[in-house]
Amino acid sequence: MRILFLAMALLANPALAAPIRVDINSGIAQPLPVAVPGFAATASQTTEAGSSAELGGRIAQVIAGDLRSSGLFRPIDPAAYTTTVDAADVLRPQFANWRTIAAQALITGNVTVNADGSITVGCYAYDVFSAEELTRQGFVTTAAGWRRAAHKCADLVYSRLTGESGYFDSRIVYISETGPRTRRIKRLAVMDQDGAGHRFLTQGQNLVLTPRFAPNQQTITYLSFEGNRPRVWLYTLGSGRQEAIGDFPNMSFAPRFSPDGSNLIFSMAVGGNTDIYRLDIATRRLTRLTSQSGIDTAPSYSPDGSRIVFESDRGGSQQLYVMAADGSGPQRISFGEGRAATPVWSPRGDLIAFTRIGGGRFSIGVMRPDGGGERLLTNAYQDEGPTWSPNGRVILYFRSARGGPVNLWSVDLSGQNERKVPTPLDGSDPAWSPLLP
Amino acid sequence: MTERQALIGAGVAHMLLFAALSIGWEWRQEVLPPADEIIAIEFVDIADAPRVTQAPKPSKEAAPQETSAPAPAEAAVPEPMAVPDAVPPPEKPKEAPKKAEAPPADAKPLDMSKLSNLIDKALPKARTKPLDVSKLATTIEAAAPRAAAIDPRAAATIAQAIRSQVAPCWNPPIGGADVRRMTVLIRADFSRDGRLIGVPSIVSQTGVTVGNADYARAFAETARRALLRCSPLKLPAQQYDLWKSAEINFDPESMT
Repeated sequence: MRILFLAMALLANPALAAPIRVDINSGIAQPLPVAVPGFAATASQTTEAGSSAELGGRIAQVIAGDLRSSGLFRPIDPAAYTTTVDAADVLRPQFANWRTIAAQALITGNVTVNADGSITVGCYAYDVFSAEELTRQGFVTTAAGWRRAAHKCADLVYSRLTGESGYFDSRIVYISETGPRTRRIKRLAVMDQDGAGHRFLTQGQNLVLTPRFAPNQQTITYLSFEGNRPRVWLYTLGSGRQEAIGDFPNMSFAPRFSPDGSNLIFSMAVGGNTDIYRLDIATRRLTRLTSQSGIDTAPSYSPDGSRIVFESDRGGSQQLYVMAADGSGPQRISFGEGRAATPVWSPRGDLIAFTRIGGGRFSIGVMRPDGGGERLLTNAYQDEGPTWSPNGRVILYFRSARGGPVNLWSVDLSGQNERKVPTPLDGSDPAWSPLLP
Repeated sequence: MTERQALIGAGVAHMLLFAALSIGWEWRQEVLPPADEIIAIEFVDIADAPRVTQAPKPSKEAAPQETSAPAPAEAAVPEPMAVPDAVPPPEKPKEAPKKAEAPPADAKPLDMSKLSNLIDKALPKARTKPLDVSKLATTIEAAAPRAAAIDPRAAATIAQAIRSQVAPCWNPPIGGADVRRMTVLIRADFSRDGRLIGVPSIVSQTGVTVGNADYARAFAETARRALLRCSPLKLPAQQYDLWKSAEINFDPESMT
């Protein structure tokens, strides 16, 4: 008995105590509070776009706006900041100032004007509570391109803190609409993804529909009814040159580029049957991909170019089908209530976004390429025409209010953070460009 | 062999046998409690519930003590015995068997404290060798080993306290299917006032593939940030040994 007690007492030596094990199974899902003070000017200089200090302030605002729009960050109101950041602080911030306002990350940087008039924007991100630098990168651009430097910085911070690739340095092309319902004026327009830099590309004399970006960013394809003949056109952004692709006497609509930019796929009505065709842009050679009776339209390539998803009513109602890029082996992938239309393959290849039509409403949904895992992301009266952000996390679409305006909206892949995209007039048929290089 | 010789031989054999049996008996006596130490029972008439004037004292001296251990047992001896002298002092064990017939007809109820005195008396006799008492506990509470594995209730309370303070500070990355399948185990060391010592380190992570290394880093950082944001923790200082080092597993599976 004594031996037993001796042994137990010796084992009570605290040095042998194991770390206590704690399990935490839930936290609080909320946007990350961040601070984005105005970028510092390394020296007081002027550019054609304003002084370096002014640029610093505007760059910070663009970054904060980008991060806020993603729904994953909450930039703290600058009125709450207890300090500004000057050039010395950028490399060695006073973290205590940012902890007191409960910022978890600090995004800051500086603007330097180079001898040739270009600017260098230094972008730094810090973890406030561990006082560590998270990432840093410099961006050189023309003074007029300061917005792109800001978007690049926002992309850097976004990807470092979420693990996803960014999407802020990209553009949106869409159809800008105005006028009464019976006499709509539709113009091609392009803008930055945050709504800045808006430009009209066509004048509105002709009906234009379904614009799409080429992978190389410089060309947009769309459908135009110029001369009352619906044709697929290519619009080169730099030069403004518009070119009709061949001269097809037949109706053609819903054009899209292949991932390598060498082909266009679209649908054409021939002899009462609408099928999907592929056009080699360089050789202008046309290949027919589907041949079933019925309407096959709205084709979209998978990101690796090996498969095409499209919409067809061959089975009696609009549904989604996937086939190989050469047109072989079409399989239906959409089932369930109602109809499915306008499929778009995600740039990540893991999902297909589409419009679900049923129950008196149009909704945006996603499903896996095998048809499983269908989820509806929106729940309004008429949401249609989805397009993916470059990182496959956000979907842009257009929403028509009952008897009212039609506007561009975006939603996060998890179904949250629905927000309206600001456009000068009504807008529809959006397409999101790839990330600018 | 003559009858006489046979008788003598048988007598010697019997005596030898008796001696052998006697020796065995004494040897066993040292191991078992001696027969004279059996507690005498007093028979009383029970009118109502027995009146226990004093709650039985748990013998706090159950663990071997310093040299003062014998003192309580000996101190119990001089206490006046309410029980009639059916209980002999330890020095005279031989007289115990005689006390069995001592008058038990005392109307007093059984005094538990006195019984515990009898129990105590057994202790000093059983000791066989001196112990190194410097490492030993002085009370039962201290004698119980303090490792968390053995004290599950205190450990569970501390774990709950840590959880309730750290979980509200944890903002796991929202969205991203990969992240939902991840977990991360963080090791944190605390000083006595609940502050973190150093930066919490990542012990292990699950759900990481080649493709989601960026997510994994962002995910682990949110766990680390949760601890950094919400320290110092408020935890009971007297149980510091239980929580001075913690391994915290962050698993978002039950969210969304």
